[in-house]
Amino acid sequence: MPGATITPIPDCQLTWVFGLLELLEDRGGREDGYKIARDLQFKFGDLLKVMKAAEILGLVSTPAGDVVLEELGKQFLAGDVNQRKLLIREQLKKHPLFSYFVRLLHGQEDRSLSKEVVLEHLAMLLPSEPPQRMFSTLVNWGRFAELFGYNKDEDRFYLDQE
Amino acid sequence: MALLELRNVSKSFALPRGSLRVLEDISFSVEEGEFLALVGPSGCGKSTLLRMINGIIPLTSGQVLYRGKQVDGINLESALVFQSFALMPWLTVKANIEMGLEARGIGSEEREKRASIYIDKVGLDGFEEAYPRELSGGMKQRVGLARALAVEPRVMLMDEPFSALDALTAITLREELLDIWQAPDASVKNIILVTHIIEEAVELADRVIVLGSGPGRVVADMKLDIPRPRDRRSEAFNTWTDKVFSLIEERS
Repeated sequence: MPGATITPIPDCQLTWVFGLLELLEDRGGREDGYKIARDLQFKFGDLLKVMKAAEILGLVSTPAGDVVLEELGKQFLAGDVNQRKLLIREQLKKHPLFSYFVRLLHGQEDRSLSKEVVLEHLAMLLPSEPPQRMFSTLVNWGRFAELFGYNKDEDRFYLDQE
Repeated sequence: MALLELRNVSKSFALPRGSLRVLEDISFSVEEGEFLALVGPSGCGKSTLLRMINGIIPLTSGQVLYRGKQVDGINLESALVFQSFALMPWLTVKANIEMGLEARGIGSEEREKRASIYIDKVGLDGFEEAYPRELSGGMKQRVGLARALAVEPRVMLMDEPFSALDALTAITLREELLDIWQAPDASVKNIILVTHIIEEAVELADRVIVLGSGPGRVVADMKLDIPRPRDRRSEAFNTWTDKVFSLIEERS
């Protein structure tokens, strides 16, 4: 999506997103967000991040404070671990922030960048977000989807092989 | 023949004056393919019992039989998963998983192969070269799980594996554990889970053994006849959680 506005991704673990989907499935596909937070003893602010992350990935919708399991979320639940990874990978490729880095890495000779350079890009793209935190999320989601890798020893943020 | 049998197992720890009896006269057997949960109040010795089944803690008296034979030392057909994950912070995900294999004298080629199989099974592809510090609790426990699975044990012994995790992470990992255990090609056929979370036991296990404390002893041993996949909102689920809860309440 060249030229699309770059939006941040919530500081949230993907495992939380998957837990939310499992929980929605158990509860018939729809539940009040506030009730979920209360039942799980989650801070409502944290649960909002999870809801937002799941929505960005197209797995749920959040009408009027409820969380509703969407078709893609059901597909995710029906898949095995590798089908799940593939689904997340396809969704991330469509996200402007991830696609920005995919393009950027493609332009590098060895398909990699140092963390410092990535942080600079993040600071420039999303000045109001803490870059360090955004980097961790980028790496964690990217690793799960096998889209990005990060090698701490060699300080290399890189494009995972297709 | 039962896969595993405990006969009059007791455990005492020596104190400066006298000794403390933590487990008394525990007898039960585990059938092939069974998912067993051991539940009880804290201090009932359930974690100690799990370690005695593995063999890292010796019995004071009694016997643990595996396929009819007494186990001396560590039962290499079992592997432990810990609440604390017990990962080596200076090793990568892949190296942590291979470590358990190296300790069992498995050669490097086979280690590589097994690590990659179980990294795939628990969804850690992409995290091979990450360090534990870079991982969330859920990802750390997936490493703990892969490390145990990689030794291809017949029995996986899990000590409160989800208790250190937040609720959403625990939901995810319980589902993933069931998927792994129920997969037709699974090498792990038996799981013994120690937990103090009653809903967790009722959601996962075929059978629940309730231990009472002071000293720990078997209070109840019940087969759960709830069809899978289990619905936490069903009446059968509620009946069973209430029953287990009342058994623990009465005895502690």
